[in-house]
Amino acid sequence: MRTREAMDVLAAARGDAIVVCALGMAANEWWAATGSEDAFYMHGAMGFAASFALGVALALPAEPVWVLNADGSLCMNLGCLITEAGQDARNLHHFVVDNGVYQTVGAMPMVHAGQADYVALARAAGFRSAQRFDDVVTLATGLAGVLAAPGPSLTVLHVEAEPTHLGTPPMTYEGPEMKYRFGRALERRLGITVFGPSGY
Amino acid sequence: MDVYAAIHDELRAAGVRLAATLPDDWTAPLIRRIDADPAMRHVPVAREAEAVAVCSGAFFGGVRSAVVMGGTGLLTCTGELATLNLRHQIPVFCIVSQRGSIDDHRVYQEVQGRRTKAVLDAYDFPYHTIDRPEEIASLPDAYEACRLQKRPFVLFLSRRLLKGSR
Repeated sequence: MRTREAMDVLAAARGDAIVVCALGMAANEWWAATGSEDAFYMHGAMGFAASFALGVALALPAEPVWVLNADGSLCMNLGCLITEAGQDARNLHHFVVDNGVYQTVGAMPMVHAGQADYVALARAAGFRSAQRFDDVVTLATGLAGVLAAPGPSLTVLHVEAEPTHLGTPPMTYEGPEMKYRFGRALERRLGITVFGPSGY
Repeated sequence: MDVYAAIHDELRAAGVRLAATLPDDWTAPLIRRIDADPAMRHVPVAREAEAVAVCSGAFFGGVRSAVVMGGTGLLTCTGELATLNLRHQIPVFCIVSQRGSIDDHRVYQEVQGRRTKAVLDAYDFPYHTIDRPEEIASLPDAYEACRLQKRPFVLFLSRRLLKGSR
């Protein structure tokens, strides 16, 4: 399946989930599919979107939290599987878009592409729920079951690589604006206080 | 005075409810107290940059948090601190052991002791050292300074504070 098809299935099933996207393809495709402002499109700390999402999930245990990760990003921080399993965050669902390449740099092959088994890695780290989907039909029918069960879950979305650099344009805001749009969106939606009375 | 208990008390006074940690031997006693505190969510991590990202995410959930790590650990995550916390202006409060000081006779800390502050200055990450027990009460001010500065803030704990003078 193509990344956009997988994103469309996830977007349809998203409900109230707060979404954190790893930088690069995952972020650009989620933005293209949803235009959602209550997602955090993480522009820094490559590999650590999953850890950021864990922080959100632990701070807001009553809210579903998703991380849209990708294979390259996951492998930059494989230890996150151990940390997530250790925290047993029931509201956290971890997705990995696996296309076997570093898409944004021109589809360079991932290290040991196609050989590492991320589902097995997650299970070995202690995840109760770990699965892989290779086509949109089984993803569309299987996703509800993944989301209905307590997390943390790891779901690998096996997709085709795009032939060259990522064509999908990035979201239209960045940096501090990313912080404020996301933080204010959560304040409005959940009635929490993220920024103090003076705005920081 | 039990300096570790005092630091823990001041963290609570600053409103911190979550701590992401990876210990060295100087910070381990503080981490044990955090772990035993039912009012604090303790997140042990596999790598220091995870702690930075966890605390950054918690910020958006309205939760005050702190990273606790060793001096070497700080040097492993300066790239993440720059590209996440500086880029997005997300405050992150880092309690770090001040390794490699003149009284820290561990040869594997010599570069950390000599160059860490220069690295922090290069990124313009503010820092403050607690060197005496009576200075521990400045922790809540340091926490507010971190929020106001909207960037990584390193609170160093000196060897003399934690282990006393030789």
